[in-house]
Amino acid sequence: MRTGDAGAPVLLRQSGSTMSIDALIAKQNRDGGWPYVRGASWTEPTVYAIMAILPAGETVSARRGLDWLASTARPDGGWPPRAEVDESSWVTGLVALLDPQHLGEARHKRAIDWLLETTGEETTRVFRLREFLLGNSTPMSDPRYPAWPWLPGTAAWVGPTSVAILALEKQFRRHPSPEIRHRIDAGRHFLLDRACDEGGWNHGAPCPLGYPAPPYPETTGLALAALQGVRAPQVERGLNAAQQFLAECRSADALNWLRFGLRVHGRLPAGYCTPLEVTYRTIPETSMDLLMTAAEQGTDTFWG
Amino acid sequence: MHIKLNRREWLAASAGAAVLAGCKAAGPLTAPAEPPRVSIVRVPAYDQSLYGAMRRIIEGHALNVRGRNVVLKPNLVEFERATCINTHPMLVHAAYEAFLAAGAASVRIAEGPGHRRNTLDLADAAGYFQTIPKFEDVFVDLNLDDVSRVRPRDRFSRISKLYLPNTVLGADLLVSMPKMKTHHLVGATVSMKNLFGTVPGGIYGWPKNALHWAGINESIADLHAIYPRKFAIVDAIVGMEGNGPIQGVPKNVGVVVSGRDPLAVDATCCRIMRIDPFRIGYLGMAAADIAQIAEQGIQQTGESITSVATPFELIPLFKTLRMA
Repeated sequence: MRTGDAGAPVLLRQSGSTMSIDALIAKQNRDGGWPYVRGASWTEPTVYAIMAILPAGETVSARRGLDWLASTARPDGGWPPRAEVDESSWVTGLVALLDPQHLGEARHKRAIDWLLETTGEETTRVFRLREFLLGNSTPMSDPRYPAWPWLPGTAAWVGPTSVAILALEKQFRRHPSPEIRHRIDAGRHFLLDRACDEGGWNHGAPCPLGYPAPPYPETTGLALAALQGVRAPQVERGLNAAQQFLAECRSADALNWLRFGLRVHGRLPAGYCTPLEVTYRTIPETSMDLLMTAAEQGTDTFWG
Repeated sequence: MHIKLNRREWLAASAGAAVLAGCKAAGPLTAPAEPPRVSIVRVPAYDQSLYGAMRRIIEGHALNVRGRNVVLKPNLVEFERATCINTHPMLVHAAYEAFLAAGAASVRIAEGPGHRRNTLDLADAAGYFQTIPKFEDVFVDLNLDDVSRVRPRDRFSRISKLYLPNTVLGADLLVSMPKMKTHHLVGATVSMKNLFGTVPGGIYGWPKNALHWAGINESIADLHAIYPRKFAIVDAIVGMEGNGPIQGVPKNVGVVVSGRDPLAVDATCCRIMRIDPFRIGYLGMAAADIAQIAEQGIQQTGESITSVATPFELIPLFKTLRMA
């Protein structure tokens, strides 16, 4: 057991992951970022690792990670998936999940602004005009409910939309604004629209070419997390699917998100423990497991 | 320059199957000096006979891989073990052993699935851990690999740059090992479409939607042009027909199709599925010359196409792809 920044005890070893905070720190690259498994630094694992180690008081390591993030921020306010990529992407939503006091208030605000300005290309006016001129009358998505793409200039999907909603919801709790509320509500509407018939979510194509497609556990957990507080038949079906996935699935990534999604709806079984045979291979998997375990024990630094 | 003009003609022609068919009939086909060779080898089931068959395939194509780094790129899509979505792990293991036996310095297995983020969980569910000893040691998740920026040589699509995995860019030989399947967006998916799995989800997301927006056929042609040293081994022991590449149903064909020229291999696979390769957009775009995918321009070895051809069920949208 370690002591967190505020002196509160932080349980670290009750998680399913075999990687300790120390091992997580040992995986940090010299530039301050983290790889997914090995190799160069990526934004996504760096954000999760920072979140996982901050409560343990690992401020030097976390600061190096935050410095790496500061160095990779793009002029448009967003973040690229890796330093050498010259385009901001969905990972901006992940960075915006960090506390503004850690990331820097101005940098955090620019990340939120980037999220507010970004939509799936299919709901932009330019695209809709082009489709109209081409005679394509069937919209790919309801333009009233813009959501988020993996990369600007492409369509919206469940994963990046859920992450963006989480970041904006966190920001809304700090600084409520109609603009943020509108994007959260629109994004949630998009998620409800993209629910699979049998319950749950896949990557965002519930019925390609008219053929019903099955849900995935990881995106079901993620979408449910983004739909916290929403009452809808799609949410109820999603929760049922998530509970079934939780019992059957052995993917660390999927289980992390299922735990999160079920917990925020009060549906995670009491005393839930991840099965011993689950293997944690990546930095995000390990970090999220540590974060979810801490949250289940009352210290929620991910969702706050 | 005549090659570029030829491709433009193809781009225009791909707008309509009738136009393509007209192109085929209109001009005399120029046969290349050395026609590409495609072998069709009967392999009735996923059993131990695959290992011997794979060695013979590699010997038959006189692949000199001694001291070279080989990357095998199977097609991993979804979790369901009982389906025919993914390239069978035994075929991949047989190729792994055959390339090592042929003297390759290293053989790695690499894939970047397009929908699911947890690649190793997917590989596990698909039976790869069970079939391939120390699988994790030889496998690279291309979605999360280190990348380099590449500018597509021919620009069939509007993509001006791509970040691609160093494991694949650095390979001396990239072996595309797809499943023979129908595809609900481009008609057929074989060795060239399988290259989508080399585009990292870590950069482009799940799905790799940037490729869809740039045009799927055009993006396939771009990727084909980017990787110069390729070989194709197609798992057509059991393929997928109907609403492929995920929701289709198994189709027994009982063959492995292979060759150095992915265009010729994919065109042959189309003919085995009784799909007209001249109506598959990306084949036409990527071909410098129609002869590359014309049956008479391909040197067929092993079984004949007619002896193994079996019509794959097509969704209504693609009924027009059926060979006459």
